[in-house]
Amino acid sequence: MGEVMTAQGRNLPGDDSADLREIGFRSLDFSELALRVEDELGDELNFDAPGLRRIATVGDVLDFIEQLQSA
Amino acid sequence: MKSDLVPPASVVLVSGGSRGLGLAIVTDLLTAGLKVAAFARTVTPELTALGEKYPDHLYYGAVDVNDAEAGQAFVRTVETTLGPIDGLVNNAAIGQDSLHVHTSPDQLARIIQTNLTSPLILTRFVIRRMLAKGLKGRIVNVTSICAQRGFPGLVAYSATKGGMDAATRSLARELGGRVLANAVAPGFFASEMSAVLGQTQLDQIVRRTPTGHLTEPDDVVPVVRMLLLENTNVNGQVLAVDGAASI
Ligand SMILES: NC(=O)c1ccc[n+]([C@@H]2O[C@H](COP(=O)([O-])OP(=O)(O)OC[C@H]3O[C@@H](n4cnc5c(N)ncnc54)[C@H](OP(=O)(O)O)[C@@H]3O)[C@@H](O)[C@H]2O)c1
Repeated sequence: MGEVMTAQGRNLPGDDSADLREIGFRSLDFSELALRVEDELGDELNFDAPGLRRIATVGDVLDFIEQLQSA
Repeated sequence: MKSDLVPPASVVLVSGGSRGLGLAIVTDLLTAGLKVAAFARTVTPELTALGEKYPDHLYYGAVDVNDAEAGQAFVRTVETTLGPIDGLVNNAAIGQDSLHVHTSPDQLARIIQTNLTSPLILTRFVIRRMLAKGLKGRIVNVTSICAQRGFPGLVAYSATKGGMDAATRSLARELGGRVLANAVAPGFFASEMSAVLGQTQLDQIVRRTPTGHLTEPDDVVPVVRMLLLENTNVNGQVLAVDGAASI
């Protein structure tokens, strides 16, 4: 997540409860992150929009990615 | 340049770049100094000649757009040969010249597969590569005025072009300004695809066109180039290039 933000000249806050909207992390940034995880896993992750809409904080992103990785 | 702008495309993939409008687009982009990748089911002598003229800037091959795996392998080879793709022109398509009642379900499916499903799959793959690399990019879909006006003998074809126009708008929304997506909708122009039109039909189209002449690939090419290279904030639009025949 930090890499995606750094690539755009922004910083990832240390606090997991930080609101994604406030730090400018948008749903496309999430897609970019998911694509990087796919690269690592060598498998496609497809999920629908409602799941994404529930993600509001940095912690939610990390939890979601963890779930995908262990699925 | 403001950092949130999408930069001009530098490596552009053109489907159906072997003849007709696609070949004209490939030629124009090469002349403008871009790196271009082009495919079609059959490589033509014209495309081969361009490859000899621009050996470092053009990569081409024989790929059927309906073979998703071959398309994806082509994209990967382009990336290693020319660099990451940041522009896509969905131009490959097949025409139709049959009334709906006389078009077999198989033929209908083939038109939809080639003109709608496969371009969407290719677009998906190219965007995934762009996002994974943190790149911005541009997409131009070549559709048709048939998406906006009715023409006999073109029911399935028109449906696919309307589908691509609609997808263009939703892509522009979904991609949040990171990838600009637009469509260019030409009027009828002379090519292998439109060779089915008889002289009477061509005369009729010309009569109904305020500018008094048929569209030519050369009319369309600068519009595609603009959408790939210029900063205009045009996004999610369908630009008709038809001399106002369809309005
Ligand atoms: N001509 C018109 O009046 C007109 C009007 C409005 C819009 N358009 C649109 O303009 C675009 C170009 O049309 P055009 O008139 O230049 O047609 P064209 O001369 O028939 O060229 C079509 C191109 O697409 C390729 N193609 C077709 N099926 C393919 C497949 N399955 N896989 C890969 N490549 C494929 C063809 O090569 P291969 O056959 O070797 O594969 C060729 O390179 C199309 O999207 C068309 O719908 C045309």
